[in-house]
Amino acid sequence: MTIIPFLFDVLAYSAIFVLVVLGLGVIASMMGIFNFAHGEFVLLGAYTVYLFIDNGLPVWAGMVAAPLAVGAVGLALERVAIRRFYATPIVAMLGTYAIGLALRETVRSLLGGQFYSVTAPLIGSFSIGEISVSRWRTAVILITVAVMVGCYLLLTRTRFGLQVRAALENPALARASGISTSRVYAATFAFGAALAGLAGGLMVPIYAMSADMGVPFLIKSFLAVMLGGMGSFEGAIAGAALVGATSAALPWAIKPVVADVVVFIIAIAIVKVRPEGLLSKWRN
Amino acid sequence: MSQSTELSTSSLPLRKVIPWVELGLLATSLILPVFADDFWTLFLTRVFILGLLALSFDLVWGYAGILSFSQALFFGMAGYCTALLATEAGITSVLVLLPVAGLVGLIVSLILAFIVILGRRVPTTVFVALGTLTGSYVVERLARGWSYVGGQNGIPSLPRLTLGNHEIAEGVWFYYMALAILLGIYVALKFLTRSQLGLVLAGIRQHETRITFFGYRVQHVKGIVFALAGLIAGLAGGMYAFHEGYVGPGQLSPVLSTQVVLYVLFGGVGTLIGAVIGAGMIEYLSFMLSQEYQRLWPIILGLLLLVIVMFRPTGLIGFLVSDRERIGSFGRPDDAAAKNDTDKNPA
Amino acid sequence: MNNDDRSSRPLSASRRLFLQRTSLLTGMIALGGGSYLYNPKGVWAAAPIKVGIATDLTGAISWGGIPNSQVAKMVIDQINKGGGLLGRPLQMILEDTATNEQLAVTKVRKLVTQDKVDVVFGGITSSMRNAIKDTIVNRGKTLYIYPQLYEGKECTPYLFCTGPTPAQQCDTLIPWLIKNGGKKFYLPSADYVWPHTLNAYARKAIVKNGGEVIGEEYFPVDHNEYSATVNKIMSSGVNVVFNTTIPPGVAAFFKQLYEAGFLKNGGRLSCVYYDENAITITPPHEVEGLASCLDYFRAINDPFGNQLQAEYGKLFGNTSYNAGSGSTGMYRGIKLWEAAVKEAKSVNREPVAAALDHAKISDGPGGGCEMVPGTRHVKMNMYTAVSKGGKYEIVEKSKGPVMPGECA
Repeated sequence: MTIIPFLFDVLAYSAIFVLVVLGLGVIASMMGIFNFAHGEFVLLGAYTVYLFIDNGLPVWAGMVAAPLAVGAVGLALERVAIRRFYATPIVAMLGTYAIGLALRETVRSLLGGQFYSVTAPLIGSFSIGEISVSRWRTAVILITVAVMVGCYLLLTRTRFGLQVRAALENPALARASGISTSRVYAATFAFGAALAGLAGGLMVPIYAMSADMGVPFLIKSFLAVMLGGMGSFEGAIAGAALVGATSAALPWAIKPVVADVVVFIIAIAIVKVRPEGLLSKWRN
Repeated sequence: MSQSTELSTSSLPLRKVIPWVELGLLATSLILPVFADDFWTLFLTRVFILGLLALSFDLVWGYAGILSFSQALFFGMAGYCTALLATEAGITSVLVLLPVAGLVGLIVSLILAFIVILGRRVPTTVFVALGTLTGSYVVERLARGWSYVGGQNGIPSLPRLTLGNHEIAEGVWFYYMALAILLGIYVALKFLTRSQLGLVLAGIRQHETRITFFGYRVQHVKGIVFALAGLIAGLAGGMYAFHEGYVGPGQLSPVLSTQVVLYVLFGGVGTLIGAVIGAGMIEYLSFMLSQEYQRLWPIILGLLLLVIVMFRPTGLIGFLVSDRERIGSFGRPDDAAAKNDTDKNPA
Repeated sequence: MNNDDRSSRPLSASRRLFLQRTSLLTGMIALGGGSYLYNPKGVWAAAPIKVGIATDLTGAISWGGIPNSQVAKMVIDQINKGGGLLGRPLQMILEDTATNEQLAVTKVRKLVTQDKVDVVFGGITSSMRNAIKDTIVNRGKTLYIYPQLYEGKECTPYLFCTGPTPAQQCDTLIPWLIKNGGKKFYLPSADYVWPHTLNAYARKAIVKNGGEVIGEEYFPVDHNEYSATVNKIMSSGVNVVFNTTIPPGVAAFFKQLYEAGFLKNGGRLSCVYYDENAITITPPHEVEGLASCLDYFRAINDPFGNQLQAEYGKLFGNTSYNAGSGSTGMYRGIKLWEAAVKEAKSVNREPVAAALDHAKISDGPGGGCEMVPGTRHVKMNMYTAVSKGGKYEIVEKSKGPVMPGECA
């Protein structure tokens, strides 16, 4: 009967990871820049929830506010700094690294370097027979699915979504067709940041709040994006699901220390063999 | 090397600034220990070693267009291997340990090159960056978990390097040794980049496919350059471990690798001297900022780096030299980077 | 394309600016820059004794470094108010090691070669201690006092440790756990030196007291998914989870353990680095009944400790005061050093080290303590405390100071 906790574990971790990677993937596919500050967007989402609690406001309100707040920060950053980097992806990597550093250290001094706990909106677990399944983690899975469905509808049923998909698949052609890439880019960056912020807000009751909570996600997220293939929404989800599932599943079979490393090696190997990723829509 | 032959409306003749910068820095470095105190001699020795590491990155990125986030990997591994030789086998002779350090760097970089850079399909810049970053990350995690090499603590209390019976203590002796090695490698790289190989590198950086069609074995050239950079990084790593007196997983981490990239970008890509200046400036800035703003200095440093990256992507050296001189007549790395990306990922 | 024109005019202006900046920097180099120098207040006849504090004020371990530096400042000010040491004031020079071993070595070098301090206190993680000890002790020929709870086995001459060791944390705790928890232990741990060494000692103690180790597992410190382990714990009837995973992973682990019903089924949690500050990492209900064994808890409620805590609170407000470590170990370290200097009537390393070898203080957080001669470690009182509703209650005090069991 250990299959149920195992599956639940894999699903729960993958859900969060998918939210994080989706934002990064959309930004990377459309603008070609790998946002080294993405982990810090996750952190800011968590920090927003923490601020709400610290000021006596309900935690679920903080979770609703998190994507909005981080989306706003993302938008501001895009207008001020990120837009200068579109022509030079390499400079973008380092510029976003510097932004991430500044953000992380700012939050660290605001937190006094401490770790804090945040209680989930839904405490406890419900039992399936002998097995206890965490209520909040179930909620996270459901919320993620809802967000995915919402994104899908947004991308396929709205005009804006059409523009985003066009810019994702073929930026030059999109520009040539008269789509204001500047506005689409800004909106997309803010959207990617908002997704990361939501992930951060949702995950903070599960993991502790600290200034370094976004760091472990960074490299894994990049690999997931490359693995899934750039240029599409489905690619990012596929890559994230694969990397997330492997990360959560392997420690059941092999030592966690080794499992951690193996995930990276597998990801790199796959990308090497299939550089365009699993579901790439870019015409190479 | 072609000189400027275009008509210029400026009345000033175009003077080459870089040689003056190089000479100036060299002269200052030679006489500095005489009137600086011990601490700054030690500080500068460390800057020379890190500058050497930065040079290795400038070589692969500024001249060959390989965005390697793993220079610290070779640096650290060489440090670990020489540290193990010193503590387990009792070998401390600089004549053995430094060449071994270089060799370790060479071998590890060749291995990584086979995995990430070489192969039938030309990898994208992003893949190379991520692949090397992953390599560095994986090895750091392994090093942190392996108790034989000390795990997170690393290997402390290393003995000093020896030359015959004399110990090369950190201080004036080590300073001049590090300076000599830095100088030697620097001059060698200057010759390399002006040689035929340098021209091929410039070609690869600008348009790899075209150079392949000209008949050059691009894979071989890239492998050679990457291995050479690995050797240089390894050499620096060996020196660093014995100068600081310990070796730890931080010395092969992605954090240090990224720092090296920052050094070179800050100083100026593609000029060699820019790498050394960048290393020195960032180390000095970090040190001074942390003295003045003890709790807030990482934020200030991050913001400062961001401002530089935003407004002066050509780095500090861009203040001094014209674009033309900065890249010689080999083309512009920044454009080449963007061009490479569009070639490999027609969007 | 004509680039030359564009670049030759601004060239002279920016070159001038560059030269200006260079000369400014050169000036700063010559003057040695600024640093955090805490000069003793008042007028003193004699030259100050320089005390170097090298700790992590920024970076991942800043939660430990900031209290360290604050306790150091408080104690040094107290000593100065009392007339100084050997008639000389103490001058504190604080350097940030930034949780970055590369930077730390340079900072410590500055303390030892440029400032020429008479003693260095600091380092929190073992990796930091290992990175800086050579520069201080061998190359810098300076005394080094390390204040943090750690895995033991540090026997370098002139390096004194004033924080609890595995023996001190396990000798009284393990028997209590077996009596008040059960015989079956599980050891989930972070994968680095301290947990490995602590577990080795704990295992011996567990077996000696009639217990049994069902499992021992190691995770990367930022590992978040513990379902496999929690499953194993729940299905093999483990009574006591002797945890050495650390933040950030520990929060996820405790939560997943709680949600699986471990505490509800009567399980006992134990975590020896969990002091009154660490307990905020997890919500109270997840650590109900957690047993910890440290050298100090606010809950001890002894007059000396309370007064110290009050003074600290007055000076530094709401910031944390960590047990087992920085704060208590730093206090102990500085006071023991003070006693040694008074006995040796000098600040030179040899006589002070000789005196420090058997130094004792009669008062401190958790009680007085004494160096065990020949070992450079301190024997001190240890307290076992249990978390009830997020607050610690002392359940057992050691019968007298516990031996560190190191470097015998």
